[in-house]
Amino acid sequence: MAEVVRERWTGRAPFIFAAIGSAIGLGNVWRFPYLTYEYGGGAFLIAWIIGLIVLGIPWMMMEFGMGRLFQRSAPGIFEGIGKKWEWLGWWPVSVAFLIVTYYTVIIAWALHYVVSSFTVAWGLGKAGAEGAQAFFLERVLNLSSGPEVLGSFQWPLVIALALIWVILFFIMFRGARVIGKVSIWMVCGFWAILVVMLIRGLTLPGAVDGLNYYLAPDFAALGKGGIWFAAFSQIAFTLSLGMAGMFAYASFVAKRADVTNSAFITSFSNCATSFFAGFAVFSIIGFIMQALNIPVGEVSTSGLFLAFVSYPVAISMMPAANAIIGVLFFFCLFFLGTTSAYFLAYGGVISPIMDKFGTSRVKTTAFVCAIAFIIGLLVFTRGGGLYWLDMVDRAVAFYGLLITGALACLVIGWVFGTQKLREHLNETSDIKVGVWWDWLIKVVVPVGLLFVVIYGGFMKDISPEGYEGYFNWSWPIWTILGVTLILSFVLQAVKTRTLKGGE
Amino acid sequence: MATGAIVTTIIMWLIFIGGLGFCFSRLGKGGEWED
Repeated sequence: MAEVVRERWTGRAPFIFAAIGSAIGLGNVWRFPYLTYEYGGGAFLIAWIIGLIVLGIPWMMMEFGMGRLFQRSAPGIFEGIGKKWEWLGWWPVSVAFLIVTYYTVIIAWALHYVVSSFTVAWGLGKAGAEGAQAFFLERVLNLSSGPEVLGSFQWPLVIALALIWVILFFIMFRGARVIGKVSIWMVCGFWAILVVMLIRGLTLPGAVDGLNYYLAPDFAALGKGGIWFAAFSQIAFTLSLGMAGMFAYASFVAKRADVTNSAFITSFSNCATSFFAGFAVFSIIGFIMQALNIPVGEVSTSGLFLAFVSYPVAISMMPAANAIIGVLFFFCLFFLGTTSAYFLAYGGVISPIMDKFGTSRVKTTAFVCAIAFIIGLLVFTRGGGLYWLDMVDRAVAFYGLLITGALACLVIGWVFGTQKLREHLNETSDIKVGVWWDWLIKVVVPVGLLFVVIYGGFMKDISPEGYEGYFNWSWPIWTILGVTLILSFVLQAVKTRTLKGGE
Repeated sequence: MATGAIVTTIIMWLIFIGGLGFCFSRLGKGGEWED
């Protein structure tokens, strides 16, 4: 049976910090600054702020509102709208589960680098800068020739991954009370380290050149479709929506607590962190350009290579405190990843399972941790893991998240009714919302999300090159996406049979 | 820093500080955090 007494946050601060911790993730550091630089600096920020106001904040208010209203996780919410919609709650659960299996492996890389940074294992000076990429691809990942060659286990990563799942278990097995407290410490710890990284970055030669690349506005970019795709996709991904977790986090909020203002605070805090992180990232990129005398085009400015190649290059070239900066930076990534990982695992998977199947928190947490660890171990800690990580990420974190988000908005907007939800939100809100919000949820958010799916997804992946040049390996993307969808129907069927059996 | 980058920085911080300032000024106007 479902829990009789719903677990609760211990106050407003733990809830907001947990939500901020889930929203702030690796993308704030390695995706947002790059997109700003790539799509016209200040001009991109205009499109991004518009995306935040018309897409991000209304969507977050909807997930917060539905979670608080139904006091259930995603499947319970959609079951409450209508039995036939329950699968729509299980789909993001599948998405969250798959994401956390590889997301924890990235945290394992960060933990590996924390240890490696004590001795700057990839080398100091110019030799270190030249060897940073080989260290990542050969020593840390032992990258195979392609996805068809999974290769051997990377034992340091296996140990780091096991340690991370043990840490996650101890954070999650006592529920929201501990998650809230840990989130306050982790988010504040991350912010403190980010300030240190920024000060270090700004005091390096070449930092100003990097910041000019980051922010100099190019308003002509606003007339191109690419900038709007980039801005809307960044907003869609950065707030950790569409992954079931925010429904669960909001369901731990007291029945008469405000959630509208909390959605504004969470969204603004997340986006301010992204903007701030951009200064730390691009000051370092400017330093690399000057230290190695290379143009910005030759520096990896985004993604895994920014974190695990460009940053180590900068650490090698720094005049002093190389090891300390290295340890702090990768601890920073560890904090970022961990707060998002337990959000995905607990809010996205464990809480929905507990709600629907009535299992105990300790057993469910142990079960989910064990299964996710085994999948991560078997696929992503091996030589071919990076390829599979890339494809699974494309299937679930791109298509899965955006499509479930759009469908959820349509069902809640047109079937459940936004007016009902808006009235519920306004009953106890610090900030009241008007009818405009109804149309954002019914039309603008789903259209915005589907625009991102079509413009940045289908149109690219059905091209002859396929996704990222994988071509023959594009089929796993569609297969994985299909499996998550089928799994959601199976879970709904299992639940229905369980209920009938109990009657 | 280039003028455009400085202006962008100032405007963005005004948006974030203004937005968060407004939200924090509204705290406690509605709702209760205990059942």
